[in-house]
Amino acid sequence: MLSQLDTLKKEALAAIDAAQDESALEAVRVNFLGKKGSVTALSAGMKDVPVDQKKEVGAKLNDVRTAVTDGIEAKKLAQQAAKDAKAVEGIDITLPGRPGAGVGALHPLTQIRDLAIRTLRRMGFALAEGPEIETEWHCFDALNTPADHPARNEKDTFYLPDGRLLRTHTSSVQIRTMEAAKSLPVRIIAPGAAYRRDEIDATHLSVFNQLEGLYVNQDVSLGDLKGTLEYFFREIFGPTTAVRFRPHFFPFTEPSFEIDVKLEAKGKDARWIEIAGCGMVDPAVFTAINKARGDTLFDPDTTTGFAFGLGLDRLAMIMHGITDIRHLIDNDVRFLQQFAA
Amino acid sequence: MQTSLSWLSTHLDLSSYTTAQLSDLLTFAGVEVEGIEERGVTTDKVVVAQIQSFEQHPNADKLSVCQVDDGSGTTRQIVCGAKNFKAGDKVPLALPGATLPGGFAIKEGKLRGVDSMGMMCSGKELGLGDDHSGLLIMSPDSPVGTPFNQLNPADVLFDLEITPNRPDLLSHLGLARELAALTGLPLKSERHRAQTATKSKKAADDQVMINAASACPLYTARIIKGVKVGPSPEWLRRRLESIGLRPINNIVDITNYVMMEMGQSLHSFDLDKLNGGIVVRLAAEGEKFLALDGQTYALQIDDLVIADSHRPVAIAGVMGGEETGVTDTTVNVLLESAYFAPSGIRRTSRRLGLSSDSSYRFERGIDPQQVQGGSEFATKLILSIAGGTAEDVVLVAGEAPALVGEVTLDENRARKLLGTPDITGDEIHAILEKLGLAKKSANKHESHWLIPSYRLDLQRPVDLIEELARVIGLDRVPSRQVAVASPVEAADRTYDFSMTLRQSLASRGFFEAQTLRLIATAQIADSLGAADAASVAVAVKNPLSEDHTTLRPSIVPGLIATAALNIRQGLHRLRFFELGRVFLKLPNGSSREEERLSILLSGPVSPSSWHGREPQAADIHELVGQIQNLTRMPIEVRPAKENTANFLLTSELRAGNRVLGWIAQLHPSRARDIDARHPVYIAELLLSALRQGSTGPTKFEELPRFPGMTRDVAMEVPADFPHAKVAAFFAAQKHPLFIGAEVFDIFTDPTGTKIASDRKSIAWTLTYRASDKTLETAEVDAAHTAILTALEKTLPAKIRV
Repeated sequence: MLSQLDTLKKEALAAIDAAQDESALEAVRVNFLGKKGSVTALSAGMKDVPVDQKKEVGAKLNDVRTAVTDGIEAKKLAQQAAKDAKAVEGIDITLPGRPGAGVGALHPLTQIRDLAIRTLRRMGFALAEGPEIETEWHCFDALNTPADHPARNEKDTFYLPDGRLLRTHTSSVQIRTMEAAKSLPVRIIAPGAAYRRDEIDATHLSVFNQLEGLYVNQDVSLGDLKGTLEYFFREIFGPTTAVRFRPHFFPFTEPSFEIDVKLEAKGKDARWIEIAGCGMVDPAVFTAINKARGDTLFDPDTTTGFAFGLGLDRLAMIMHGITDIRHLIDNDVRFLQQFAA
Repeated sequence: MQTSLSWLSTHLDLSSYTTAQLSDLLTFAGVEVEGIEERGVTTDKVVVAQIQSFEQHPNADKLSVCQVDDGSGTTRQIVCGAKNFKAGDKVPLALPGATLPGGFAIKEGKLRGVDSMGMMCSGKELGLGDDHSGLLIMSPDSPVGTPFNQLNPADVLFDLEITPNRPDLLSHLGLARELAALTGLPLKSERHRAQTATKSKKAADDQVMINAASACPLYTARIIKGVKVGPSPEWLRRRLESIGLRPINNIVDITNYVMMEMGQSLHSFDLDKLNGGIVVRLAAEGEKFLALDGQTYALQIDDLVIADSHRPVAIAGVMGGEETGVTDTTVNVLLESAYFAPSGIRRTSRRLGLSSDSSYRFERGIDPQQVQGGSEFATKLILSIAGGTAEDVVLVAGEAPALVGEVTLDENRARKLLGTPDITGDEIHAILEKLGLAKKSANKHESHWLIPSYRLDLQRPVDLIEELARVIGLDRVPSRQVAVASPVEAADRTYDFSMTLRQSLASRGFFEAQTLRLIATAQIADSLGAADAASVAVAVKNPLSEDHTTLRPSIVPGLIATAALNIRQGLHRLRFFELGRVFLKLPNGSSREEERLSILLSGPVSPSSWHGREPQAADIHELVGQIQNLTRMPIEVRPAKENTANFLLTSELRAGNRVLGWIAQLHPSRARDIDARHPVYIAELLLSALRQGSTGPTKFEELPRFPGMTRDVAMEVPADFPHAKVAAFFAAQKHPLFIGAEVFDIFTDPTGTKIASDRKSIAWTLTYRASDKTLETAEVDAAHTAILTALEKTLPAKIRV
């Protein structure tokens, strides 16, 4: 019996070793450990083993069973490992990824507008909007622009047959907001489209995008205007950006300024680039608002405010070094995909 | 405005300022410097030389060897490449040691082996214009050896943008006055401002009559007889040419000079061609006028004219007449100097499309107090240059309007508005006095100021505060940042919602387009959302071109144009969206503006790659799915009864009873127009409708605690039976265990072998679940049978077993 067991162990281990695949290994298991298997058969013979040999034969039998079981288990793991390795064989990990649905992009104007909005919201500005088809009153009269002002003619401004016009600036949203305001302060920004009767070329669009800002309260000063816009442009262009305010003229602010930032174009010396207009709200604007409202919420003797406006198309061009403004309306994918974030 | 530094320098000594410093000074005073041009040479090492002889260079075909007289007594040899001279010509010669504009230094040297002791120059090389075609040939009477800059002084030209509130800066004297205030330099004289020494006489009605006093409150005429009209002297011609004006004759040049010198626009008439006295009147409707530009203008009743007894002789302040202007034969002159009200001049100039240096100044506003001074100054120049005798009185009609007065400044208010609490009263007063304002009185915080007549812009206290801001500059103002909490506005919510949509679409592979809101009339037919888009489109009254006549009633036309442009670049997988405003005319004539989201999709479901060269092209269900995923709403697609010409499959997209928008396939014929390779699908959604479905925070729903069970059913229905009706049936089932159903297969067989060709088989999975227990098979079977029974009763469907 003992020698039988030794032989059986040898046979079993050899059979395990020879098993090529999972099913061959299973056959080996059945042959030796199955109900009718050789090891099982020998186990059944234990009852015929003399008592004095039982201990020795029993231990041997256990040894054989353990060796066969472990052998099968080890072979199974080895086979699985080989199979797992085989499963990734031939994969060229250096191939490009699958495109999925592909990569889209937000338009660069959307991106710059969002940056501007996020920056100004951190300073407590809320958004406002107004119609693009405007009345002359909201676009010009209320903004202290006299009836015979050069901008108010059919050469420069698009009109509708009914006398309304396409707003020439987002400043009309200042008026819309103050007309509807319930109380002070008024602190808004208004991104939006504006229209001018310009031939489209590399630097002009007939429809363009602006961002308007307005802060009206008691005791708003030129210092607030300066602090706010310095902060804004340094957030946009970097903390060390030089910002300067040049006196200028707009009918609806006094004093008025144009803002330049000093920027380096690729390979060129830094230079001042005009980027926005701003000023303190002209008291005549408050007077017009009060008249329209029929109250004195915007008392020109005690209320002050600042307003600013900037061209988002121009900002995008400066920021990204875009050489022709028409790229912004062509929507050529070769252009748009450069701005995939 | 073109401004000459040497002209300015006749009024104040600017020699201690560099060009760059002057530019900064003007810039920070609110005068934008749009260009700086240096003219001529400053070095006196460029002299007048005379070419005595020249011969062909021995070693170079294109060069000549010239012997020139430079005035030193010895002949100088110069090698020259120009061809436009002859012996005896006088030309500018740059001597060794001279530096020309642009930094080019002249040295002695050899050119192709021949000594050359300097360089003869073209106009361009001397910073005088662009003429580089040959040497600058000077006038024969130029004295040899004289430094060139004595004959043609160097100058710097500033191209200045004068803002409309500062018409007083539209002259050299005005700018000099401003620079004097900014620098503290003294003005050399106020010579032209002084009221004339000449007596004025009220004009008799038959001499000058004003019939339109509000348009012309003041008119003066000076009669000068016996003048000799001819070319202007060199200095006058040079002054005018330096700022880009063409000399005409001495009388006209003098009036132009006075305008550029002091801002007073004048006009000179040939007195002998006038019939009777001057009448300042409004034109008769349709009255014709032949202007000196040779054009005939039809006038209207609000155009102001200067007339004689027969006809208009000038459009007041804008342009004189062809028949009465000063010519070479003129002997007697009537010199007009007047004040015309800005609004009338502006209206006429704009309506006629006729603008002149004169109208430019009148429509911005001139100083009425210098009308007579201008006349006097011009008269003096005419007498000295063109001779003749002036009548000893100026005929004056009307009087100078008082356009400025007194302004009271609350200095504390100024400090508050500027944000400069530290600015003292003395400093404020010094600034205003420097600017020519006269302090009438002052107490602790308030001062009263008399405004000089040329500062038409100083009318209100805030105008004086602006002057203070301009002079002290913003560097002096401390920055302050005040953040104020602002309640969220409706516009904020709309913006945030639209940004979420944009980002979501971009991450699904769509490119955001931004197309022009003004489209061509022909593009209107590409619109979605209205049966007759042309009837709701808002047209512009004065479009600039045929391409941009109409405010878009839909974003789709812009996206189709975007698709076309990209197809031209060879792109055929198109994924675009745009979110923005459209404009709709309402039946009552008013208009509505609303935000929409438009999506265009065409071509393969994914970009081609090594994995699949030509992936399957998207169908319209792809776009429906994209919209469902984007909006996270169950969407009902309801086919429209009709399609417009450019679309097929037009359908309404709905959520409950809310219209979300429309979807369609671009008509194949239109798609062929833009060379689309694949079908083009388009949707347009209403932002407000999308937002209605997404208000408030999500309410959590308990997760099911017990497993559900599913049963599949296949049924046969007519081939054209819409899915929506089956879906509606299942949606209406109220069985307590029934959770929902989903379609998972649709089978047709056009050959009719497996199923009749006019029938289709559709397969659905139905889900059953109870909230309080695990269902038994028998319970599910009972529920399923009940629903199938109802199905066969309700729908034209046959359950397949």
